[in-house]
Amino acid sequence: MRKLTCILAITMLMAGLLLAPTGALAADKVVLGVTTSLNFLEGKEANNSVKMAVEEINKAGGVKVGGKMLPFAIESIDIRDAAPGVPVPEALLGIEKLILEKKPNALVVGPFRSEALLAAMDMLSKHKVPLLGTIAMSPKTEAMVAKNPKYKYVFRVSLDAKYFVGYIAGVMGFMNKEFGFKKVFIMNQDVAWARATAGIMTKIFKGKLKWDVVGHETFPTGASDFAPALMKAKMKGAQVIMPVFDMPQSGILIKQWKAMRIPAVMAGFISPITGPTAWKTFDGKIGGVVNSVFELGSIPSAKYPPSKKFYDAYLAKYGKPIEAGHGPAPAYASVYLLKAAIEKAGSLDPDAIVAALRATDAEGVMGRIKFTKGNQVIYGKDPTKEALGCFFQWTDDGKRVIVYPPAIAEGKIMLPKGMKSAK
Amino acid sequence: MLQGTLIYGFINSVILMLVALGFSVTFGISGVANFAYGALYVMAGYLTWLGLHSLGLPFWLAAPGAVAITAGVAAMIYWFILLRVRGLVVSEVIATFGVGLAILELFRYLGFIGFEYTLPPLIDASVMIGDTYVDAQRLCIVGAGIVLAAFLWFFTHYTKTGLAFRGIAQDERTSLTLGINADKVAAWSVAFGAGYAALAALVILPLGTIAVNEGYNVLVNALAVCIVGGLGSTVGIIVASFLIGFAQILTATYLETSWMMIVSLVAILAILVIKPSGLFGHQKQLEERI
Repeated sequence: MRKLTCILAITMLMAGLLLAPTGALAADKVVLGVTTSLNFLEGKEANNSVKMAVEEINKAGGVKVGGKMLPFAIESIDIRDAAPGVPVPEALLGIEKLILEKKPNALVVGPFRSEALLAAMDMLSKHKVPLLGTIAMSPKTEAMVAKNPKYKYVFRVSLDAKYFVGYIAGVMGFMNKEFGFKKVFIMNQDVAWARATAGIMTKIFKGKLKWDVVGHETFPTGASDFAPALMKAKMKGAQVIMPVFDMPQSGILIKQWKAMRIPAVMAGFISPITGPTAWKTFDGKIGGVVNSVFELGSIPSAKYPPSKKFYDAYLAKYGKPIEAGHGPAPAYASVYLLKAAIEKAGSLDPDAIVAALRATDAEGVMGRIKFTKGNQVIYGKDPTKEALGCFFQWTDDGKRVIVYPPAIAEGKIMLPKGMKSAK
Repeated sequence: MLQGTLIYGFINSVILMLVALGFSVTFGISGVANFAYGALYVMAGYLTWLGLHSLGLPFWLAAPGAVAITAGVAAMIYWFILLRVRGLVVSEVIATFGVGLAILELFRYLGFIGFEYTLPPLIDASVMIGDTYVDAQRLCIVGAGIVLAAFLWFFTHYTKTGLAFRGIAQDERTSLTLGINADKVAAWSVAFGAGYAALAALVILPLGTIAVNEGYNVLVNALAVCIVGGLGSTVGIIVASFLIGFAQILTATYLETSWMMIVSLVAILAILVIKPSGLFGHQKQLEERI
């Protein structure tokens, strides 16, 4: 009988240990998983930003979990979803591999492609792993989280297509008011977020803004000749060309626009011309282009000091400035948000972390961070009240001047050389 | 609009021809379909960039150096890998594709992923032709296309190595009896094709940025032109380049740009149905083989 009691006790102890949630185990570190396309610029710089935040936090003692200070540890995996031709299931396998093998307490950065993020949502619910995504842009995740509580583990700390559209509408409104422009030609990459952005903008142009959409072209990822579309834009008298691209080849569009001397302002998002070294890369041929940065901090603003502090710290640490307009700032902010949430929850229990994250109200490098019911960071026009994205214009002498929103604007949009106002 | 379409259609055709020439030369002589071709094209771009920016070399030194290294790498691929599987078509394809994949992914692994990888244009200006602006680099591409096509003709008709190339291409066994070393010539042809890919890269890449994925696009374009024109036929390459090049620009201009990408695939499908050996292919028709 004594032997049986002993066996039962050991069995129950082992079962208890096995069945206990990961967070309840005596952890010696808080594991952060970085699951993204590490070999693409945004992924690489976002990963660098995560490392920077982790180093800062660990240097200051780590994260306080139930009275014990634990360090952050990073486990990363390249899911390659940004590369053309890599199927979504392959990206999902990468995420699940990291979850099963490294047992992360949370994931940061996340997939590039919205298609991959949307497909991963069920897996994240199944394994109860919070994800603070900073790249994929589809607003559909927010709707799904708001509609179904099982997706509560998915957060988005960066801009989404919906807020991006709001910023573009603001810039176009300015150009209409200032120069009398009302003819736009839309060019976008054939990926979910860019299609969504172009689609919503087309409706807004035709409806609320009362612009004439003289053409709309969609380019497959990897396309490298934009000449026919530019000729169409010129022929149809477009005054503004709105590009929405995040592929390396999209820089060619600007070169061709300049070489073909298309008399239209280029205003939208082209990832290769976002960073400060783009001026040199494109031989100084990007003067006049109005481009967006999705999160403040990835570009510094003297009018919002935390963004400049982060930007300068990154430059000092890595010896290179941030080139990506999307990902680094929110990736850095995500680590601090997690630290705050874990300390507030007092444990590594995923549900408690999620509850604490949802109640976030913090000042970050990209502005004030609060989440909607769908776990999307709220964007606005004042960095002391909401998170902020912005538009800047390349000047003819190679400087990036923030032109929108007004709260952080350093100058007004100027017409490129050779273009005249329609007023 | 029509004038612009014709000008850009012509330039696009020359770009396709440049991209496909090296692939076709290699296949026509050695019979090897070099699926590492796109990777070698990208490699030449990155090597030139490294020469310019990391070693601080002038362009006139960095560019020929990159061409020579690319050709050398291709020769080594033949000597150390392809020689062992020569004649086994599927193995050749798998081996070259694998090597190409390894080269491209190695560049990705080494961090060649930013937007700063660009090559300087040979002439930095715009020229107005009629009412259409064209950048001078595109005119350089046209010039390079004419020069390289002419050089290929001269090389294969008036040089010993070129004549050996043609000998092997026409009948390998007979050439062997005449003392031509088939393996050596095949290695030369792979290197020669890679050199052409490198030269094409040097004039085409300044139009945009060097990206790993460009390697896959180049391979697809080269394959499309070669299949339509007929593998190994230089005349076929030129005709197919112009057919596909103009079809792409006309499609983009008068339909939708997104349809441009399927032009090559439609052309491949059409030619496989109508004339599987390609427009100027030397392979026998299916019915003849039966």
